[in-house]
Order: sequence, then structure tokens, then C-alpha cells
Amino acid sequence: MLINPNSMSKKIFLLLVFCITTFFTFAQNITLPKLSGIVTDANTGQPLVGAAISLDFKKSGVITNASGYYEAFLPVGEIIIKVSNVGYKPFRTKVVIRGDYKLDIQLEDVSKTLEEVIVSSEATKKNIQTPSLGVTSLSIKGIKKLPAMMGEVDIIRSLQTLPGVSSVGEGSNGINVRGGAIDQNLIFVDETPIFNPTHLFGLFSVFASDAIRELELYKGGVPSRFGGRTASILDIKMAEPNLEKFKLQGGIGPVSNRLMTEVPIIKEKLAVLVAGRLSYNDFLFKWFGPANLQNTRANFTDLAVKVFYRPDKNNSISLTSYLSNDFYQVDSLFSLENVVAKQTKFDYGHQNFAVHWGHYFSPKVYMDVVGVQSTYNTRTYAPDSVNRIDLKNSIGYKNLKATIDYQPTESHHTNFGISLVRYDIAPGTLNQGIISRVSPIDLAKEQSLEIAAFADDEFKVSKKFTIQYGLRFVQFYNLGPFTTTKYQEGLPLSTAPVIGTETFESGKVVKSYGGFEPRITMKFSTSETSTLKFGYNRMQQFVQLLSNNTTPLPTSRWKISDEYVKPQVSDFVSLGFFKTLKESIWEVSAETYYRKTQNIVEYLSGAKLQLNPTIETQLLQGEGKAYGMELMLTKRRGEFSGWLSYTYSRALQQINGATAAEKISNGDWFPTNYDKPHNVNMMLNIQPTKHHSFSFTFAYQTGRPYSSPVGLFRLADKTYPVYESRNNDRIRDYHRLDFSWTINNPSMKAQRWEGSWTFTVYNLYGRKNPYSVYFKSDKAGLKAYELGVFAAPFVSLTYNFKFL
Amino acid sequence: MKKEILIYFGTKYIMSQNFSPVDMGLNRLKMLPSQQERGWGRGFNKQNWTYDIKYILSIYFTAIIGLMTSCITPISDFPQITSRSFLTIETALTDQTEVNYVKMTYSSSSIKINFIRPVKKAKVYVVDEKGVRENFIESSLATQEGTYFPSPNFKGKIGSTYTLTIETADGKKYVSQAETMPTVPEIQEPTTQFEAKTNYDVTDVSRVGFNVYINLQDSPKKGEYYKWYWKHYEKIAFCHTCTNGKFNFKLGSCVVIDPPAPNGGDIETVPTYNYYCDGQCWNITTGLDINILADTYINGELVSGKKIARIPYDGKNPYYFRLEQRAITKTAFEYQQGIVEQLQNSGTLFDVPAETRFNTNIKSLTNPEDKVLGIFNVYSFKKQILYIKRDKGVPIQEKPVPIIYTGEIFSCSGFDPTCIDRTPCEESSNRTKIKPEGWVD
Repeated sequence: MLINPNSMSKKIFLLLVFCITTFFTFAQNITLPKLSGIVTDANTGQPLVGAAISLDFKKSGVITNASGYYEAFLPVGEIIIKVSNVGYKPFRTKVVIRGDYKLDIQLEDVSKTLEEVIVSSEATKKNIQTPSLGVTSLSIKGIKKLPAMMGEVDIIRSLQTLPGVSSVGEGSNGINVRGGAIDQNLIFVDETPIFNPTHLFGLFSVFASDAIRELELYKGGVPSRFGGRTASILDIKMAEPNLEKFKLQGGIGPVSNRLMTEVPIIKEKLAVLVAGRLSYNDFLFKWFGPANLQNTRANFTDLAVKVFYRPDKNNSISLTSYLSNDFYQVDSLFSLENVVAKQTKFDYGHQNFAVHWGHYFSPKVYMDVVGVQSTYNTRTYAPDSVNRIDLKNSIGYKNLKATIDYQPTESHHTNFGISLVRYDIAPGTLNQGIISRVSPIDLAKEQSLEIAAFADDEFKVSKKFTIQYGLRFVQFYNLGPFTTTKYQEGLPLSTAPVIGTETFESGKVVKSYGGFEPRITMKFSTSETSTLKFGYNRMQQFVQLLSNNTTPLPTSRWKISDEYVKPQVSDFVSLGFFKTLKESIWEVSAETYYRKTQNIVEYLSGAKLQLNPTIETQLLQGEGKAYGMELMLTKRRGEFSGWLSYTYSRALQQINGATAAEKISNGDWFPTNYDKPHNVNMMLNIQPTKHHSFSFTFAYQTGRPYSSPVGLFRLADKTYPVYESRNNDRIRDYHRLDFSWTINNPSMKAQRWEGSWTFTVYNLYGRKNPYSVYFKSDKAGLKAYELGVFAAPFVSLTYNFKFL
Repeated sequence: MKKEILIYFGTKYIMSQNFSPVDMGLNRLKMLPSQQERGWGRGFNKQNWTYDIKYILSIYFTAIIGLMTSCITPISDFPQITSRSFLTIETALTDQTEVNYVKMTYSSSSIKINFIRPVKKAKVYVVDEKGVRENFIESSLATQEGTYFPSPNFKGKIGSTYTLTIETADGKKYVSQAETMPTVPEIQEPTTQFEAKTNYDVTDVSRVGFNVYINLQDSPKKGEYYKWYWKHYEKIAFCHTCTNGKFNFKLGSCVVIDPPAPNGGDIETVPTYNYYCDGQCWNITTGLDINILADTYINGELVSGKKIARIPYDGKNPYYFRLEQRAITKTAFEYQQGIVEQLQNSGTLFDVPAETRFNTNIKSLTNPEDKVLGIFNVYSFKKQILYIKRDKGVPIQEKPVPIIYTGEIFSCSGFDPTCIDRTPCEESSNRTKIKPEGWVD
């Protein structure tokens, strides 16, 4: 006879319970109060049989009978009750027993509870049901659960907890997606581009987090409606204001204050959302700062406004605006080569605007028209003395795009449209209209037009096989007015003599590039819960950020492709496997990819980029390749949720020009600054009750590469290192653990005003993670130094509130 | 380990200040020995408590607001992964007779300095645009091996163009690009100003000093490049200081005396001995940083108050200061600019890639792949010798931070006739027995 061990243990347990209840029955005689109730399924209302009720954390307890009923006799006093059942989220509570006590409990089916993980269910659906590959959807609600550095909810940092997303280190001015450079990511907030995603030189992300609904990161498999960058698309969507209910929420943190409100103006038709963030702490410099920092100021703001109007069922119109600003003031010498100034001010920010019109022609045909205007301006100025400096640059973007979404049959879903993008770049002006000893400079403005037509179709060939195929065609025009410098042929531009110039009048085409960008992804379902996918796409990039620094400065200049600077073109293939387990509670995935990029931009040794009218002489172009594998295990629901991922990734470059000056690292392949082969990311969220949640994030990365000397030389009694190849060694490995504890609604009363506290520790065990290694000479030779950032645990406390 | 606060701006960092523990207040939170003596009861003393809160807050927001709390740690056992040595050519061809030379070395394949070797017995000459050739002959002095000098009366001419040729003993030939000697303006109005950097500790020599400023009138001609170079001579009394040992005259250096055997009676501690010089001797100090300027933004203008040096306040006596204002070539400017950006400004979040420029303006004729370090440097200069007064313009509370000698003065005791108590002044790049120009005792 077979004995089911489970039923055996259940029997023993029942026997035990019987003994206990007998004991309690006996005890009843001395009038112990009775705790009783019914345990049901929260969704169906069905009684739950065999749910275990444990008291004061003891292993023993009672279980519910066939009608979900339980009872226990307890002494007077406080007692902690835990109710658990397989497949249900445990319930815990504390009651004070004075007399008989009735407690009915509803348990939530884990498979039906809302997710706790920042990667949303949309993502699971996409992973299993659609052919999209390399796309991650994040919910802002989930991002808010991640431990935030200094209490600032941070999108750029949160993204780095995902496989395939990294950066050069703390304080980097953007992210590197699957081996791509920072400027190879297109970041959109409601279709308006973000040119600098950070505040305070890379310390915090821009974006008013309260205004954001969700974001999608396309690490590959980019649909044909997106284009213009070679690595990734980060599509951030702002929330639509609630048309029915007023809402107010905000937060107070050590760095900034936030406030968001949604106001319905005409019920069900017109509403407005305003969200702002303001840093305010810089007055502390004045009060507490050391004498030499007392005049320092550092402020940033974000403001997002969205007006949503739905005149009827078939039309919706929305206006989005996003403004960001950073301001600094520092007592010091200014950086413009050797120009003396006492105090420098620094100002930069975005002004982004978009208008959307959505229209349903029929339930099967939807049209979306969007118009965008956005500018990013930077200004560096030193107003004092005779050496006044006023340095400005800007990049402007205008876009008109119309997309039609058409679903003719069950098996086809089509998307097509056209897009017109215009860039206007002012690469640098110095002292225009200012009297100063420092002479004025006005670099020629650059402008371009990108005309694109795109179409893709998702075709369900069979129950198991779906293919999404698309094509994007882009024609790029660098437009006048512009004057191109002509150099003697056959010599590197850096040394070639200028033989003349060619002037183009306004609107004339200076240079044109273009081509087709095929996009394809395929899904093959190997079972109900698992799929195999393949993707290929080509992307072109006609605008680049010029920066030779480890991470670009907010003031770095942008450059439009021209006769000398060829557009970047990338070809990307990837293969993925996805499987969900236990009713989608668990998900495992494995993805591999390979990307080859032509015409990546590098720089001559000692390149001078600022205010250089012949910038082409400082640039080198070459090839980039990136490849990797990402493994991820996700648990989406339950008391414990989170993920664990391992990524192997490489990002290499080769600059192999004709002459020695046009080569980097002798023309060999060399690792990029963000080439970190091994990455482990862990995120764990524990939510024992509605009132408390705990989160941990852990990150491990191979140390990033740096250039290590092969020896030293001496010139004029000074010692210098000899570097022969780029990035030939690595800094120590990086790892960090963060923790946060959120207490929701501490008063535990249901009321319109709901507060919560978040306590965060960044870099919990205080690891001194290196950022770079560099060398200085001393008497005996060279001494190596390690530069670390955030080398100590950082504690912060934030108060958030909601008013509904 | 030192705590550093860095603020970044423009294309390079503009401020880097070393906060001593006292300034940062960081170590106040740790137990310093002096605090341990006083006990850690400060938090309960109301007056001091506010003081500590102030410090905590200041640390906290300093870290927050745009300033990255960075931490710099020296790596004590740095492992070098690859080693290479290259021909290094250092040159000076000027409009004056006193500074003209070609110095050739093989660079060190280790990051330790003592692996640099001189390149001897080479044939070195420069040719001007008229084809006039000047041979550079290797010095016969042992301390100047691998250094080649022209005839004593040779000097370059402003506006002339020169080409350098080197033929090494192993048959390799190197030729430079033609370089034209630029014109240099006069040094104008050198001035000094006392400045105390309050973020340094009062005992730190970096805290107090005098900044030296000059004015520069740039000519209307575009594309002019300047460099400032200074030297300081300090007359010294002691030529050697030996710790745990004595001076060995045969070796010409200090020799550590082995401590007596543990069972050999009294343990004798060897004191630190300072040896007087056997004649006049000067230590030479040069400016640490490369100080260069291009007229890109200031063409034709008067640049006023250009800081060209900072000298220490280690005494109140006048400070001998020999300043050179040089007009350098574009090649030399770009070469040094690269060094400034990569090395002088390294250790920030925004470093540019560390690279070394090879074959800047000297190339191998025998093997084009051959890599050469250094530069053919043609410049003209003006010089001024100043005695900077250090007893005026100093706030009353600021005191000089003198160099303190420790240990004993070595002297021969009585009757040993072989004993010598004075050591020689060895000629080197940072020491000389030749009386400097314009020296006033």
C-alpha cells in the first residue's frame, strides 16, 4: 500500500490539533475566551479548508474545517495570529483578547494578487505572448519600492538593476545599454527627447517621478516607429490625469520636495496633472559649509504638466510639457583654458513640449498625431571682472509624427506612419554681446532634417508562430547655412592643410545620408508557458554627443553628421528563451545578443572639443561590437518577490585609421570604459503586511577597464607614465547592497490623507567601490591612486503623502 | 587616506580641495585619540552637541549637493601588468646661450624611476633653414651621460626654423619636423599676494603661501603659445640626513647600521644624523605644474593677473625666484596641453583617457613603427630674477610653516683622524654648488 507522506503528516497534525482542542475544551471550563472565525478566499468567497492558524509564532495551531471555520481558546492578552494556506498570501495580525473574539479572514490567492516586482505583468505578457524581444516594461509603483539613493526615486539608477543596463560608475551621466554608449540611447518623455538625463552632474535622474505612469526600455527588438539612435530606446510615459477624482500627493526628502496634483476641470472630459520637484537644501552651504564653500549654490527643479482633453469617445487631445533646470554657483577659477574668474555660474535644462491627438476612425483603426518641440540649453558664465565669460550651447529638436494603428483581422496588427525630425544645434557661443577681454566666438550653427516612413505588422501565422516584421526608411539631410572646410586629401584631418571652404546657403543640402532599417522579431511557442524568439534590427544615428571624458559633462556639445562625421549604423541580432512557472508567479529567461556598430566616434589624443570651429579634425571613427548573455529569474508575486540576474557582456571598439595618429591602442580592439563582463543583480522585496515593506538590491560588476602604464619617462625633471594601450587593466570589482524600509500609513486608519515613511540605506556595508585608478609621480616613480565615490553607507529618510 | 571634495565644471574640474579631517569634521565622528582622552561625552554637553550637529549636517549636505564625496586611496602594492621601454628625447633650443641641449634616455619599463638609462655615443645635430649645421656633443661629465650640448656660443634665432637629426650608436636615425622659434614678449609687472587656504590644517605647508601673478600683452598675431617656468634656489646647511645609519663616503650614501644582536647587551638606538655640506650648496625647486596659455580666447589682449606660481611661506626671508616666460611652438603647446589634461587633471569623475603621445615631432627614418617619446622643443624666453618679500602683506594670525630638521648634527668625536663630518654637495637636477645667477647672500 502506498502511503502519501503529505496525508500522513496532515493526519498527525490533525491528531495534534485534536489534542490541543481537547485541551482547550477542557480549559473552557475555567472560562478562557474563544477566538473563532471563518477563513475564505478573498476573490471567490469560498471557504478555505485546512488553512493553518498559528498563534504567537508557534508551530502548533489550529486548522480550518470543511466550512472554513476555526476556533481556539486563548488566555487574555495580546496575541499574534498568522493564517496561511498553500497558494495564498499569508495573513498576519495582532489582536488583544479580552473576551470572546470573532475574526473572519480573507486570504488572497497569490496568482491573482497584484505584482510586487517593478518589471510589470505587461512584460510577462510580452515575453510569452508577443514576439517582442529585449523589451522591459517597468511600473513606477515598482520603481518606488527600490531603495533610492538619498531618498530620491531614480529612474536611471533603477534601470541599472536590470540585466544589460550599466554605467561607468556612480555619478555617471547616463546609462550604457547592452554595450552602447550614453548618446546611443534615445530617451523620450511622452515623445519629447531628453538630452541629459541627470541632475547635479550625474547624481540624480531628471524626471518628476510622480508624473510617470510607466516606462519601456527597448534593449533590442526596437519597433519601426522608433529610430535615430543605435543602442536603445527608453520610452517614458506620463500618467494621464484622472478625469473624475482630485488627487494630491507629494514627498519630503533630504534632497528635494515633490508635489503632484491631478485636477479634473470638466468631469470626464478635461483634467490637468502638475508634478514638480524642487531641491532646496543648498542654503545649508551658507549655514554650515566650510568658508570656501559658503558661496556655493546647487539647485535643481523638474516640472511636468499634462493637460488631457477627451471631447468625445473617439478623440483625445493632450498637451505635455516637461521642464528641468540645474543651477550652480561656485567660487573658483573657471575652466575655459586659463581664463581667470572669481565665481562661476552654471545653468542648464530642458524645455520640452508635445501635443498629442488620438483619434479612433473605427474600433480597428486608430490614429495618433504628435507634434514635439524640445530644447536643451546650457550656459556657463562668470559675470565678474574684466574677464567676463558667457558660454552657451544648445540642441533643439522638432518632430511631427503621424502613426496609424490598424487591426484588420485577428491575425494581423499593423502600425505605420511618417515622421519628420529637425535638429538645430548651436555648438557654442562665447561672450556674444558682452564686453570682456575674452574675445567672442560664435560657432556655426548646425541643422538637419530626418524624414522617415515606417511600417510594421504583427502576423500570427499559427497558434505557435508569430512574426513581427517592419521596415523603416530614413533620409537625413544636413542643411545650410553652413560652411564646410576642405582639407588636402590623403592626410589625416588633424594635420591636413586647409585648401578652401564651401559655403551652403540656408536650406541647401550640405550632406545627405539614408537607408532602410529592417526590423524583425519572431516568436515560436514551444509550449503554453514557454517561447523561443529571434530578433534582428538595424538602426542609424545622425546626431552624436561629443565627449572624451569618462562620462559626458552636461555641457558637452552635440554634433550632426556631415561630410566628415559619418552616421553611426548598428546591426543587432538577439535570441531569447522565456518560460513562466506556477501560473506566471515565476519566470525564467535567457537572452543573447550581438551588435556591430559602424562609425562610432572617438577622439584624438588630447582632443580639443570645446569651442572648436573645425571639430572634425579632433574626431576619429571606427567600429564597435558588443555581445552578451542575460539570464534572469523573476518571482512576481507573493510575500517575497524580486529577481536575480546574471549577465555576461562585452563592449569593444576599434579605431584603426591610416596613420599612427588616427589609431587608438595601435589599431587593436580595446574595451570601452563600460565593458564589465560579469554582472549579478538581485532585487528582493518583502511585504509581510500592507503597512510594511522591505527591499534589498544587490549589484556586482567586474571592475571597469582603465589604462595602466607600461613604464615611465622623464622630461624636464618631471615624471610621466607611458601608456601604450587603452583600457588594458581593470579596477577592483564593484558590489553594493542597498536597503529600504517603507512604512505605509503608520496610523493604520483609513483616511483621505495617507502618509508613508521610507528609510533607506545606500551602500549598506559601506564598500569603498573604486571609480577609477590614476597615477601621480613621486620621488621614486609613479604612485597609483584609487578614486572612490560614495565610499560609505548613506542613510536617508523620506516622507511621502497622498490625498485622495 | 585623504578625503577630497571635487567640484566639476566645464571640461575639467576647477576646484580640488583636500579637506583635512579637522575641516571635514568626518573624523570627529570617529574617535580621535585626543577625543578618547576627553571621553566621548561631547554629545551630552549641550553646547558641543549643537556643534557636532552642525558638523554632521555639514557633512551630510556637502555630500548631497552636487559635490561628490570622493575618497582617494593610494594603492600600495600596485601590480604592473606590462613593461616597455622607449627612446625618450628631451630638447631645448632657445634664443640664448645658457639653455640648449638634447638629452636622450631609454624610458623605464618599470613604474620605478631608477630604471631610466642614458643613450650614449649618439650623433646629434640641428640644421637651420639656411642649411647651417650645429653639432651637439655628449657631455663628458658622469652626471650628464646621454646629454648633448652645442658649442658654448651657440644660440637659436627668433624666426629661424630648425630640424633635429639623431643617429644612435646602434645605427638608428631619427629626424624631427622643422620648428620655427617664436617671439616672446617681456615679463610685465610680477606681483605677489599672500593667500591662506583655509581648508588645510595650520601645520600643513600647503596652507599658506604667496601667489605670483604677471601681466601678459599678447600680440595681434594669432596662434601664440606661452609657458611659464620657475626655479627656486635655497641655500642649505645639511647635505645629507641619515636615519638608522651613517654616511658612507665610499658609496656616497647613507648606510643602515644593523641593530645590535638582541643578546649583545644594551640596545643602542641609532639617532638620525644630519651632515653639514663641505662647501656652498643650493637645493633647486621647480614649479610642480605645467603652466601654459594659448591666445585662442585672448588674442591681442592684455592678460592681467595671470597666476604663474605659488611659493610656500616657510620662512620670512626673501625667496629667490627665477622666472622664465617662454614663447613655445604650437606642437609643444598641444603636447603639453595633452599632458596637463591627462595627468595634471586626472583623478576626477570626468577624466579623459590616459594616453601617451609618441612621435610628436620626431620620427624614426629607419623604422617608421619605432615609437619615440618626447619632443623637439624650440622656444625663446625672457627671464627675471626676483627676491619675493615674505614679511609683508601677511595677516597677523598667519605664521610661516618652516621645514624642521630632526635628529642630531653629526660631528667627529675628538681623535679619529680619518673621520669626516662634512658631506659633498652632489650636482643634480635638484642640487648645485654653482652659485645661482643674481644670488645675494
